[in-house]
Amino acid sequence: MSSLWSKIGLSALLLFFIVALGWVGYRMFTNELDTKVRTIIYVPKTIDSSIEFWEVMKQGVATAAKEFGADVHTVGTDTELDVDKQIQLLEQAIQKKPDAIILAATDYYRLVPIAEKIKAAGITLITVDSGLNGGVSESFIATDNYEAGRKAAQELIENIYSDDQVAIVNFVQGSATAIEREKGVRDAFSQNGVNHVYDTLYSNGSSQRAYQLTIDLLKKQPQLKGIIGLNEPSTLGAGLAIMDMGLKSKVKLVGFDNSSSEVQLLEKEIMLGTVIQKPFTMGYLAVKTALEVVSGHKVPPVMDTGSEFITKENMYTSENEKLMFPFIE
Amino acid sequence: MKPHRFFRSRSIHNNIAISFSLLILCTTIVLSYTSYRLSSAAVMGNSVAYTSQLIEQVKLNIENYISNMESIAALVLTSSDLEKYVKGSSSGREGKVKDKQLASQYLRSVIQSRTDISSIVYASSEGITVSDRLDAVLKPLPELIAQEWYQQAMNQTGVAVSSSHVQHLFQDEYRWVVSISRKLSDTFSEMEADRQGVLLVDLNYSVINNLCKQIELGKRGYVFIVDPSGSLVYHPQQQLIYSQLKFEQLETVLGIKSGSVTVNTGNEQKLYTVDTTSFGWKIVGVTYPDDLVANKQQMQGTAALWGAVSLIFAMAISVLLSYALTKPLKNLEINMKKAERGEFDIRVEIESTNEIGKLARTFNLMIMKIKELMSQIVMEQEMKRVSELKALQAQIKPHFLYNTLDSIIWMAETGKMEEVVEMTSSLSKLLRSTIGEGEELIPIARELEHIRHYLTIQNMRYRNKFTYSIEVHEDILECSILKLVLQPLVENAIYHGIKHNPEQGHILIRGKKEQNDITIQVIDNGVGMNPEQMSKLLLQKADYRIGSGVGVANVNHRIQLYFGDHYGLSFTSEMEEGTTVTLRIPALYEEGSP
Repeated sequence: MSSLWSKIGLSALLLFFIVALGWVGYRMFTNELDTKVRTIIYVPKTIDSSIEFWEVMKQGVATAAKEFGADVHTVGTDTELDVDKQIQLLEQAIQKKPDAIILAATDYYRLVPIAEKIKAAGITLITVDSGLNGGVSESFIATDNYEAGRKAAQELIENIYSDDQVAIVNFVQGSATAIEREKGVRDAFSQNGVNHVYDTLYSNGSSQRAYQLTIDLLKKQPQLKGIIGLNEPSTLGAGLAIMDMGLKSKVKLVGFDNSSSEVQLLEKEIMLGTVIQKPFTMGYLAVKTALEVVSGHKVPPVMDTGSEFITKENMYTSENEKLMFPFIE
Repeated sequence: MKPHRFFRSRSIHNNIAISFSLLILCTTIVLSYTSYRLSSAAVMGNSVAYTSQLIEQVKLNIENYISNMESIAALVLTSSDLEKYVKGSSSGREGKVKDKQLASQYLRSVIQSRTDISSIVYASSEGITVSDRLDAVLKPLPELIAQEWYQQAMNQTGVAVSSSHVQHLFQDEYRWVVSISRKLSDTFSEMEADRQGVLLVDLNYSVINNLCKQIELGKRGYVFIVDPSGSLVYHPQQQLIYSQLKFEQLETVLGIKSGSVTVNTGNEQKLYTVDTTSFGWKIVGVTYPDDLVANKQQMQGTAALWGAVSLIFAMAISVLLSYALTKPLKNLEINMKKAERGEFDIRVEIESTNEIGKLARTFNLMIMKIKELMSQIVMEQEMKRVSELKALQAQIKPHFLYNTLDSIIWMAETGKMEEVVEMTSSLSKLLRSTIGEGEELIPIARELEHIRHYLTIQNMRYRNKFTYSIEVHEDILECSILKLVLQPLVENAIYHGIKHNPEQGHILIRGKKEQNDITIQVIDNGVGMNPEQMSKLLLQKADYRIGSGVGVANVNHRIQLYFGDHYGLSFTSEMEEGTTVTLRIPALYEEGSP
């Protein structure tokens, strides 16, 4: 009897230690799991390093990757227009089974099927800057373009009379960004009684075309008092047109985005100001949000990274310097 | 079951093992915890010390760059080429242009091999501007002298160090630099106030950026630099701070010259390690205590794992050790069990001279003593038995002798000489055989002869009151029987059966073999006995009193003493019909060995 009890006692003790050891092992193992490096594939619209916007976004991505200990791979196309190639790259990305994919969609509609496929593969999808029809992604991190459009319009309105005539130089028909921005501009105009708005000019992303269209318009409509350019080439074309027509300070220009050409327009006071986005913040938040989703946190479906209105006066403040003149290593 | 009872019921082996294990468990826990605490404190201390070292290194490097630029500025200010142009000593437009070219060339030569310097520019309010650049076009003077580097240098003596900023000196050129500017009047003291100029040396921001970026402080740590006015010179997440996504406690930093402080920014704890450069920049190393905590968890895990591993090893060892310790005890126990069962031919191997060895030795001695005592007891018992037998044999003689001698006397008195002779002869033979050679076992034939003599005597004594016959199978005549066992039975038949019977009685002695036993029956046809009397017969003590039945009990006792309890006497009797006494002994053909 005594020996039986002893055996039971010893076995129980041994079992206890084995269980304790197992528990410790399990804890360490799960710890390992928990601190496992997340892999993210980041697919910008382009990996063309001459385009500052994407370079700065990449910096934001890299900063977040370092801070949160994620492993981020960047793959992308050479131009922003190669939709097929981007789809192909995403196909390859799915094969690599990352924890998340961060995508700046080159097309609002055509990338939806591949996005569905990414989700079906159990991969977290975050869209950044340019979203997808139907909001397929877990979260869309971008500038609130409607709000940015309103901001640009507000600035112009403050410098013209409400019965002045204004024009809008948009970049491409059917682009979500372009539509949102224009909608913001038009809403701000109508709310402030600016009702003489000409038909939208489309530069199709070419500053030459924007320049030509603006020249034509200025010639046709000499009483035009304000122009809003909705992206960099559109703004630049419009600005150069105003400059060449000698209409500086007669025709007010508010633009979008930043480039050294635009800075010169600002310095020459051809342009009142420009609305700039925050690509660094976008990149940073995209990675942060992706990791939050992977860890099972709830995230808002849309995140606005904000925009700033930059003028000649405020462009060298330390806050705006970083946005206007991103330091590219 | 109460715990202590539970514990008490265990073997020493298990008790030792459990006690050891508990002891080891406690020790391991205490040791693991202490080592974890010590090492986590060490890790924390190390990390702070390491960060301070790195930060100091960054500080020295930056100071080095800035002082380099200061010395370049000092060098430039002593240059005769520049002085000549600034003072406008050459006359005529051509001379001035030439002077400017010389000055520009000189500036170029100074920084030719310096990739860290972006540009050198001299500008004065009266319209003199010169730079090291051939290609780039400087902005108009009013714009230049409105810029911060110019204003700052003018408003202070010595060197003004700007924060990092975009330099927009040249048309269409926007570079990130740190500006060092110095008022020229310090060296050209003879100049009038309105002819003062400022020399600007721009340090490429990438120098500082690269310097700070390469610093690794744990997994997430980083370095940032803030100038005395609180604006960030370098911060890896500057844009996030401007977007209010990240926060730094700049007031706290500005209040510290050097040292470490823990701050809460947003929802996170950070450890700032601050150092201040000679010109007022604060170099701040940021580490996350949480990173260390993650490290801590790993340490916790490691400590616990190793604790558990060593625990299991220690337990195994303690089980083995306790087994080794208790093995001699177990061995002793086994031997003791044997002794308990009555085996005394054992000897415990003495393996050591320790307590257990001594115990084994004592046990061996004890067993030896017990063995001695046992054999002594056996011997004594044997002696006792022998003497008892002797006594029982001896008991027969006087009782019978008196009666026989009385009969002889009586017969002699009545003159029956022939009968006296016959009886005396029988008695003589009877006594001879009784005394015999002192052996205990005799062949049945001899015992029968003896009983014939006895019956002869008795028959004469009782004047043919009975007849007798002996029917013993020939096979058993050579078998051994205890001496003088039949006589008391016959005696009993005569005294208790025949004597009181008014008619002539008959005594039949019948002997035969029954399997391995021999039965000899003494059958009389006397008065018989009731069961009470029969049971009394065997119960009577074998004492020396002469009394009825004593002899029968003696016979039974002797047979059982000699052959064992299976053997002895049994009775059947019926009143007025007679008694049969059956004697049962084993069939022994060889004389002497039972």
